[in-house]
Amino acid sequence: MQKEEKQLEHTLESLIQRVQDIKNSIANLLVKLENEYNILQWPSVLDNFALLSGQLNTLGKLLRNEKVPPLRNSILLPIALSGDRDPELEKVTERRVIAFNADVVPHYLRTKPEPEVEERLQPVLNRASSLTPEAAQKQINAMNKMTSNIVDIIKSHQETMEKEANQKSSLSQTSSQADTNTLLSAVLTGKGFKSSGMRRTDMAQQQSNMQAQQQAAQQKQQGNAHGKVQSSIKTNIKQGSSTHPYQRN
Amino acid sequence: MGVVCVFACPVPEGKSGQQVVDGLQKQVEMMGATKSGNFLVDCETYQSNPQNVTQTPQQCVVNILHNSEHPASCFSVTESGQILVSDLLFEDLMSKLTMAKAGRESFYSQRKGFKIESRGQRYEVGDFIIKIGSVSLASNFRGILIEVEYCPCVILNECWNMMKELLQSMVGNSAETPPPVLKHKPDTVYTPSDTILQYLDHFNNFRKAVSAPPPSR
Amino acid sequence: MDPSMVQQTFKAAPLTTEFFLQGSVMENSLETLVNRLKGLCDNADYQQESFQDHEMVFHIKNTSVPTPLVFRVRHSLVQTECWSLRYLGHAEVGDKNRPTLVRSYIDCPTSENVAQFIGELGFRMDHEFVVKGFYFHKGRMKITVSKFYKMNQPGNTTNDTIETVCPSYLVELSVVTSSGQEAVGDDMKNFAEQLKPLVTLEKTDHRKIQLAQT
Repeated sequence: MQKEEKQLEHTLESLIQRVQDIKNSIANLLVKLENEYNILQWPSVLDNFALLSGQLNTLGKLLRNEKVPPLRNSILLPIALSGDRDPELEKVTERRVIAFNADVVPHYLRTKPEPEVEERLQPVLNRASSLTPEAAQKQINAMNKMTSNIVDIIKSHQETMEKEANQKSSLSQTSSQADTNTLLSAVLTGKGFKSSGMRRTDMAQQQSNMQAQQQAAQQKQQGNAHGKVQSSIKTNIKQGSSTHPYQRN
Repeated sequence: MGVVCVFACPVPEGKSGQQVVDGLQKQVEMMGATKSGNFLVDCETYQSNPQNVTQTPQQCVVNILHNSEHPASCFSVTESGQILVSDLLFEDLMSKLTMAKAGRESFYSQRKGFKIESRGQRYEVGDFIIKIGSVSLASNFRGILIEVEYCPCVILNECWNMMKELLQSMVGNSAETPPPVLKHKPDTVYTPSDTILQYLDHFNNFRKAVSAPPPSR
Repeated sequence: MDPSMVQQTFKAAPLTTEFFLQGSVMENSLETLVNRLKGLCDNADYQQESFQDHEMVFHIKNTSVPTPLVFRVRHSLVQTECWSLRYLGHAEVGDKNRPTLVRSYIDCPTSENVAQFIGELGFRMDHEFVVKGFYFHKGRMKITVSKFYKMNQPGNTTNDTIETVCPSYLVELSVVTSSGQEAVGDDMKNFAEQLKPLVTLEKTDHRKIQLAQT
């Protein structure tokens, strides 16, 4: 007997603790909503709700715990009503309930939902009870069928998308690192542009000579072709020819 | 852009360069010429360090000139008279040649005390542009150069006689014949490079004269 | 404008720093790339601009250090009066946070006698090649897609005497600006993202490529 009492006491203590936690969380959220409504971010509101829902879950788990004695079987009896102010009660309820009188007791010791809630609950309960078990089973089966269909559709979509992604990656190659390196080494060091047969310096000499000749010829042609005045400075330069006075200096 | 002739104006005994310049300016203003800003032709000289340039054992000289008439261009002339006209960025390229880097000595270096320039007043009168410039070598006065440009024409032979008249009134008989640099091309189209070559010719003469006694003041 | 002011402006902010990324595209995907670039770049409503250039690479050597100084003479085979002399510095990879390679870049338009001119300065031609391709621009970014050709006869740039060195096209994304403008790198990185996976534009370490040659 004593053991059961102890257990009950223990349970009540932890229940009070959990409810206190929930109360604090709600108070926090309310403070935030009132004072920071202009800078409050939606994610942080969601965080608060998540916290609350977690705490409610813990409370539920506690109640379902095997060690918790069936509270339903315990009875709460108001031993004495009094119109006088009770400072102890005031302190415990954070000044919400000042006196334990006939006004507040029916509210606080209520065992049924409020009348409005009962009213709304009633039609739902009626409908549920009017349904035959066979009909209910039918509806459940239909629901299961529908959800499994939707799951199938989503799965097939996923498959096609994955297939496409695979195909893309296996598309023919568009660039090659080896080619980039070949091109860069050609541009940077001239690899691939030089003939291997000739000695490089000879070739360079020969090429620059040929280049000079070619250009001289080109310019002669240009000079003849455009005998007109050109405003551009850069395109109008005459070749330093052998008869130039600076050659003799 | 037309034909340009550049002549040196002698500074007589007993007169200062500034006096002669003032006299010339008065003279062109009498002709009705109006001032149209200043002008500057400058020249820097670079020489190769033959021990560093393996391909050319002999020393190379390159002159880099600017003309305020063509402010975005840079003119570079080698000793053989090869003249390269380019963007001003060419000087940045030249600085790559004069820069010693990673243990390598520079290929070229600037000749110290060789910077020479002609600077002065620019005038316009009718179809002519006249520039009267004082030449200074390393900030020392060396002489006077007169540049006359006849804008409507680009062939020297077709306008030389007219230019000669104007030039002779300013520099006297030295303008009897066209500038030596232009002798080989009396009938071809005149280009800004020809102006640069004339200036370089005069600049080289002034530099040579440095060893001789300086002009009297 | 006052002539001295023009000169000052040129000297005050010389555009001699190039930020760039490189990659390549295979011949079979060239069309896809060109179409994508047409859509991404500024000159979308025109035919893409193409170029054909002849580049001669000149070296000047020194007895003390064998590494030559390299100047590149480039001229257009289409607009034959366009010549330029270029200097490309060594590409700096920098740290990981820097999105692009950076090098000193001087591209100086010149008169057509530039090859003879630098020959007189002591430069000798090391090799030459032909490059053909397309270029696009978006803002100040320039994108070139180029194919490189070896010249079998010195000085001859006609089509029957040149042959490709590599079937792929080199793709370069670059911005030439004054030094210190690191912010352009982020724009370039974003642009490069849009070309993936067709072309991967990367910071390719040039030293590794040059080392692989020796």
